[in-house]
Amino acid sequence: MDIQLSHVKKSFGDTAVIKDVSFTVAAGEICCLLGPSGSGKTTLIRLMIGALPADSGTIRYGDTEMPNMAILKRLGFMPQNDALYEDLSAQDNLAFFGGLYHLPKATRHARIAEVLDMVELAGHKHKLVKNYSGGMKKRLSLAISILHKPDILFLDEPTAGIDPVLRRKIWAQFQALKAQGTTIIVSTHVMDEVIECDKGALLYNGTLIEYDSVDRLLKKTASGRIEDLFFAASESEARP
Amino acid sequence: MIQLAKRVIRQTVNDKRSVMLILVAPLLILTLVYFLLGDSDYVATVAIDPDAVPAPVINALEQQELELVDITADEADQALDYLQQHEDVDAVLRFPETSGMDITLYEPSTKGATAMSEIQEAMADINPSAETTVSYVYGTQDQSLFDSLGYVFLALFSFFFVFIISAMALVRERSRGTLERLMMTPIRRGEVIAGYTLGYSVFAVIQAIIIVLYAIFVLQLSNEGNIGWVLLTMVLLAVTAVSFGATISIFAGSELQVVQLIPFTIIPQVFFSGLIPLDLIPYHLGNLSYIMPIYYGAAAIKGIMVYGDGFSDIWGYLAGLTTYALVLYIINTQALKKFRKL
Repeated sequence: MDIQLSHVKKSFGDTAVIKDVSFTVAAGEICCLLGPSGSGKTTLIRLMIGALPADSGTIRYGDTEMPNMAILKRLGFMPQNDALYEDLSAQDNLAFFGGLYHLPKATRHARIAEVLDMVELAGHKHKLVKNYSGGMKKRLSLAISILHKPDILFLDEPTAGIDPVLRRKIWAQFQALKAQGTTIIVSTHVMDEVIECDKGALLYNGTLIEYDSVDRLLKKTASGRIEDLFFAASESEARP
Repeated sequence: MIQLAKRVIRQTVNDKRSVMLILVAPLLILTLVYFLLGDSDYVATVAIDPDAVPAPVINALEQQELELVDITADEADQALDYLQQHEDVDAVLRFPETSGMDITLYEPSTKGATAMSEIQEAMADINPSAETTVSYVYGTQDQSLFDSLGYVFLALFSFFFVFIISAMALVRERSRGTLERLMMTPIRRGEVIAGYTLGYSVFAVIQAIIIVLYAIFVLQLSNEGNIGWVLLTMVLLAVTAVSFGATISIFAGSELQVVQLIPFTIIPQVFFSGLIPLDLIPYHLGNLSYIMPIYYGAAAIKGIMVYGDGFSDIWGYLAGLTTYALVLYIINTQALKKFRKL
């Protein structure tokens, strides 16, 4: 199921946060939303998952326009903050969301064990989340977002504040999910992570300045560095 | 909805401070209120000039629960100065030649009132024709302030503590991003509010049972009616408190702001809960009580505990509470549209 954004706009008061953004992500791709802080990445993700209504434009999943409850069930979302119940254990957090996603009781326990193994938290599943380290919380947050085997997974800055070793492990998990057919939309301001993705959407001040395959994006600068595309956008904006 | 209620219960149980706030704090404060408003064994001290007070009066005063202190004629004449210098004395009693009885008190206070009451009883003893007999339709003359107003505190506690816990939990749910994550699941908006209400209702029931049994059987709060109706009213009040907390959480950006909103949300309700008779409040401001949920709960509990009312007498108040809870439920469900239109 592909995702099509068509002329999506969003303002908060007088401030335009998303300015006429259009692009399409094909099923099974990893699409990177790249941009500096405040460029509109989180807002765009919230628009795509239906948490925010767009002022104008459309967001479609296949032939279905958002917001739609049937589509919502097929989406997974890992927010920028951990968004966990800290007074519960990892097992209880997963059991709660598993119940909300109506995972069959017969297989729910096995699925929880599976995702806990995947994020390497099986040995800590009964510990209260408030006693987890930052990295453990990130991994649990990822486990919750993939618990119901979503077709499309949205990850908002999943590796922010994560050490390089854990970051590599997390990206390995994303690649594993992609291999299973999951479409992944991931926002990041770490430019190096773009090489893990198939497509890159470069946002600057709410404007989509580039959207292309990562290979072609890298070839668009002489240095082969994505940052240069943002520098160019910055200079062109500063020019009278 | 059941999933959410179970989570609320599990989460609250794991947070020891919340459990203490819901189950222990009301008992602690109720006990304090009992000692503050209950029977006092205070013995007032009254100063007299024994040469200027008739002997029968002295005899009658000695029969009362009073401590008598002898003072000189000069000290009696300068009663105001004497009381300022002797703070352990509550009253100076004189019988000047130009008037009848003269009582000087240090200040209007409960201690002064106790001294006055004992002096009046002594006077009634030596003049039986002046004795006054007071009868009440409900209650007795010797019941304490705790007996008269204890029901208000049952209503206040069942509302306040659940309100605080639920409002803060919902604000936390929003600030930590779990509400947004929750709204990404197929749960319906109404189920979110209902799940929360159901989860906290379990604690409300336990809290109501503990408070009522403690107040009636340990603190001996007088009760003329059926405990079951008291429990039902308290649970309904607590359910309304959960919805009220959810509504307030819409206007609060953080847990601190919930506390900052207490002077606007809770304190006015305390004044209209029955602590002050509504008829005494000027400019018809007493009518404001009708928009305050604690009023309905306190009025129903008063009806049951003081007047011995049954369901046929209190159903209007219960209907008021139920309506309040339903209206807030609709408001809260609509407010969640901010997070998901569906």
